[in-house]
Amino acid sequence: MLVQDDLLAPEVVADPYPYFARLREEDPVHWNQRWGGWLVTRYEDVVTVLRDYERFSADRMASLVLELTPEDRDRLSLLINYFSKWLVFTDPPYHTRVRMLINKAFTPTSVERLRPRVREIVDELLSEVAHRGHMEFIHDFAFHLPVIVISEYLGVPPEDREQVKEWSDETSRIFFIRADEPDRRERSQRGLQHLLEYFEPLIYDRRRHPKDDLITALVQAEERGDLLSHEELLATCTVLIFAGHETTTNLLANGLVALTEHRDQWELLRDNPSLVRPAVEELLRYDGPVKATFRWAKTDTELGGKTIREGDRMLAVLGAANRDPRKFQNPDDLDITRTPNPHVAFGHGIHICLGAPLARLEAQEAFLALSQRFPNIRLADRPREYHRTIVARALKELWVEW
Amino acid sequence: MARRLRIAIDYDRCVGSGICVLTAPHVFEFNDQRQSSVIDPTGDPEELVLEAAHGCPQMAIFVEDADTGERLFPPPGLE
Ligand code: HEM
Ligand code: HEM
Ligand code: SF4
Repeated sequence: MLVQDDLLAPEVVADPYPYFARLREEDPVHWNQRWGGWLVTRYEDVVTVLRDYERFSADRMASLVLELTPEDRDRLSLLINYFSKWLVFTDPPYHTRVRMLINKAFTPTSVERLRPRVREIVDELLSEVAHRGHMEFIHDFAFHLPVIVISEYLGVPPEDREQVKEWSDETSRIFFIRADEPDRRERSQRGLQHLLEYFEPLIYDRRRHPKDDLITALVQAEERGDLLSHEELLATCTVLIFAGHETTTNLLANGLVALTEHRDQWELLRDNPSLVRPAVEELLRYDGPVKATFRWAKTDTELGGKTIREGDRMLAVLGAANRDPRKFQNPDDLDITRTPNPHVAFGHGIHICLGAPLARLEAQEAFLALSQRFPNIRLADRPREYHRTIVARALKELWVEW
Repeated sequence: MARRLRIAIDYDRCVGSGICVLTAPHVFEFNDQRQSSVIDPTGDPEELVLEAAHGCPQMAIFVEDADTGERLFPPPGLE
């Protein structure tokens, strides 16, 4: 069987694809003792798990809450209350109702009007570093773009942006299993508390004085007489600040690594800017920001010939599905002209990423500008280290020169 | 008389979000694979069909005037 069966082994964190490939070929629905759940790695099975919300629930809070002591549940009640309203943790019918209300603000055609402004922000950020000849790509560029875009879209004034981002980071501490941070749940709750206090008056303000921003759109969102409740609005504002940050940053960083390591593809894009749409899809497929997402089984069932028990955790390994040779020709090759490209980097089924149209737009504008302004960009000769997480494919730093 | 629509789904793009099915329930339905399928192009008013096409996160829905062939969604440059 597998020589190394550890999602967090150093060599797997550095490059998970050989491990994913071995699982996919040898044991596509695999019980991983260490993680305590099933790893699902074939495209077809991943898609099944994500489509079949009746068998596989996304309500991860319910199982999490069960593990807490009653005192912890009391202490963390604010956190539990809001997180359990976040779309990504909910099942129908709640999920359906809220998703339909928010969806209109995030359709491809409604975010398209942000494109000129996104282009401007990309340009400003790159102009600041252009004269230097080198940068740390993540902190000098990739980190800022999604923060500025979503803050502006939400209607958070520029002077508050840093603070809001800090609170959002605090809130998100809970998602990263870091044994060395025993108080991470408390810190997460404090961060959330700050975010809620921040958004509360903004929401009241937009009720009285509508503006051309996302908070106003959410306040006014209405579907057959139904509106978002005040708590749902608050939960949505906090999740939007959080959900789009690191994922988009990591798409830009992982994408730049992939393109600079496949020089022919970089040159192809540089000489054919109209390829930027399929190029971004291919970067999502080839080394996407989210390696995996999880569900739990709501009933005893079967998948890939294995017997799954009610309550079992299922890790749908998006990064493995995206390299499945049963679905993609030459899956380990980067081919920016690949069409169609039915990757699952944004998930699949009813929880398909709400921010996908916005993330796509940001990445298209970023890679367009980078390939035109820094045609000779290359990776600096420094070791690259990834954060040790099951979910995120995230570099710590990325030094580049031109 | 409402115009007749031709509606197509791109199955390489459709991820089964269900948004079209909820928006225009008499036009779109989940098939066995939980992807969208068109059961009746006249099932709901044109307005709802276009709202569903707009709402699709994957730009997987194409709508045309069945008689003139005029493209109603997606808008030019966005396909
Ligand atoms: C490249 C960037 C991004 C990637 C790779 C990504 C990936 C994902 C994935 C895989 C899911 C599904 C999770 C699951 O099924 O458990 C998801 C859901 C979600 N994403 Fe993203 N995301 C990105 C950017 C964004 C942005 C920019 C926003 C918001 C502005 C956003 C907001 C959301 C929300 C709200 C959900 C939950 C949707 C639902 O449950 O209906 N994401 N994302
Ligand atoms: C949008 C907002 C999101 C929130 C609020 C959120 C929140 C959480 C929370 C509270 C946990 C449990 C951490 C713990 O055990 O203490 C968790 C774990 C996890 N999340 Fe998320 N998450 C979000 C987005 C995503 C996305 C987009 C994905 C992937 C597609 C994802 C995949 C996972 C996975 C796989 C775990 C389990 C990690 C492990 O067991 O080590 N989450 N998340
Ligand atoms: S809205 Fe689009 S992605 Fe969702 S089910 Fe309909 S066609 Fe498929």
